[in-house]
Amino acid sequence: MGASIQYFLSGLSIGGVYALLALGFSMMWSVARAANFNHGDIFMVGGMGTVVFLGLGLPVWVSAVLAILIATIAGALIERFLIRPFNREPNSVGWMLTTVAIGVMIVGASTALLGSAARPLPSPLMDEPLRIGGAGIFPQELLLPAVAVLTTLALYLFQSRTHLGRAIRAVAANRTAAELMGIDADRVTLYVFAVAGGLGALAGFLVAPVIQASTTIGLAFGLKAFMVAIIAGITNPAGVVIVALVFGVVERFIEGYFSTSARDAVGFSIMILVLLAFPQGIFARKEVAKV
Amino acid sequence: MTTSPLLSIEGLQVRYGAIEAVTDATLSVMPGEFVGVIGSNGAGKSSTMRAIAGVLRPAGGKVRFDGADVTGRRGHAMVHLGVAMVPEGRMIFGDQTVRENLLLGAYSRVMRNDQSVGQDMDEVLELFPRLRERIGQLGGSLSGGEQQMLAIARGLLSKPRLLIVDELSLGLAPKILDMLFPILAGLNARGLSILLVEQMASYALQVTSRTYVMENGRTMFSGPSRELAHDDRVLDAYLGRHRSD
Repeated sequence: MGASIQYFLSGLSIGGVYALLALGFSMMWSVARAANFNHGDIFMVGGMGTVVFLGLGLPVWVSAVLAILIATIAGALIERFLIRPFNREPNSVGWMLTTVAIGVMIVGASTALLGSAARPLPSPLMDEPLRIGGAGIFPQELLLPAVAVLTTLALYLFQSRTHLGRAIRAVAANRTAAELMGIDADRVTLYVFAVAGGLGALAGFLVAPVIQASTTIGLAFGLKAFMVAIIAGITNPAGVVIVALVFGVVERFIEGYFSTSARDAVGFSIMILVLLAFPQGIFARKEVAKV
Repeated sequence: MTTSPLLSIEGLQVRYGAIEAVTDATLSVMPGEFVGVIGSNGAGKSSTMRAIAGVLRPAGGKVRFDGADVTGRRGHAMVHLGVAMVPEGRMIFGDQTVRENLLLGAYSRVMRNDQSVGQDMDEVLELFPRLRERIGQLGGSLSGGEQQMLAIARGLLSKPRLLIVDELSLGLAPKILDMLFPILAGLNARGLSILLVEQMASYALQVTSRTYVMENGRTMFSGPSRELAHDDRVLDAYLGRHRSD
């Protein structure tokens, strides 16, 4: 029983990371029908960036803010120069190549510069584990799903209560119609990619104390988060977060009851089966439109 | 009478890949004028309007608005200049409420803190009382006629100097059209310049003052709507006289 609670809680923790990344995929996809396929490497920048700035003697919060800022700017630049020019026609695929390519470059350059060793990030929230029903979990680990859920709520409020938020929804629903409302759809898209980048880096920073930061960590996280987003129904943020948390828990149970090496094989197999059952995603939204 | 046109397009061309949808569209709208464009399905009317509104990039030709060359400006920029389009198929944001749709219509004005948006909102809701009854409902839950009202109201809230209406009648019952066309006429009477694209020529010729006829991607001829309503070419092709198909 204690073990199950343990798996559940640490699964929620890792699920929180998937959730923040998958949320980014969801946001990007909604407005652009494209996404940054190196989002996992942006996530890496959050953790590695913080560790590097910390090493330069900056306080941890300044380091984290700087790393997140860099990721935010990177998100905007990637949209502007690697996605927008390669996503002009419906069903364009050029952006897939360009974003994968820049991801490989980012990982290569940062590994050359910083080495491939994992680097720890100290956190006061990793000092004393909380005891919950016989399981032990660090506050830092619980922070991840909490931040993911709060971010989703904040996003929802932003999109329903603010003018810019409604514009984002308008661009997501119909770019042409949004332009006809006087909304600069390209600029809105750029903002969304910037925020997605920032959220990815935030996840990278928050998880670094738990799993350590390294330059090559991004690929697996990015891939899993993208799969989670697709399975959930990529345009439904709440659905994406739910599936991400569930997937994190399922992974931990596989690790616990089978083995760590079976985790990815079984995890991906389950995702493929779910996708077969729900080709549009579990929480795919019905389009409400009358012609 | 030497006023210059509010909108003029010259030799406009639109291509979709290798397909030429519009080969030579030339027309103008004077300030305060109500101009119609009629023609059969596929004549290039909607493509012309979309190129004017900036949601399609013209392959050739010139678009001038208020004296300035605005060829190739993007949609949102045209809205800022004062051109609003009620698009074919209405393009209501189905997952947003009527109120949110209207606010989006006033997007650029709200963003620059225009204080008169609330008052204008009241005005369009007086014009379309049905929308006031449905103000909190999702756009996607409205009937076709209500969605067209919302599309027009939304277009008006950008405070345009030129309102382009693309296929007002599409999919709507005659009863609703009998209500919507006079509303456009009323807006024009209050000074709004309107460019109306309409497949139902009989309706368009009744409300507009001047009409262009488009065929095969070209503007073929134009004239006062009252005269065109009795023009043999128009009667035969668009008003259903001697139909032999």
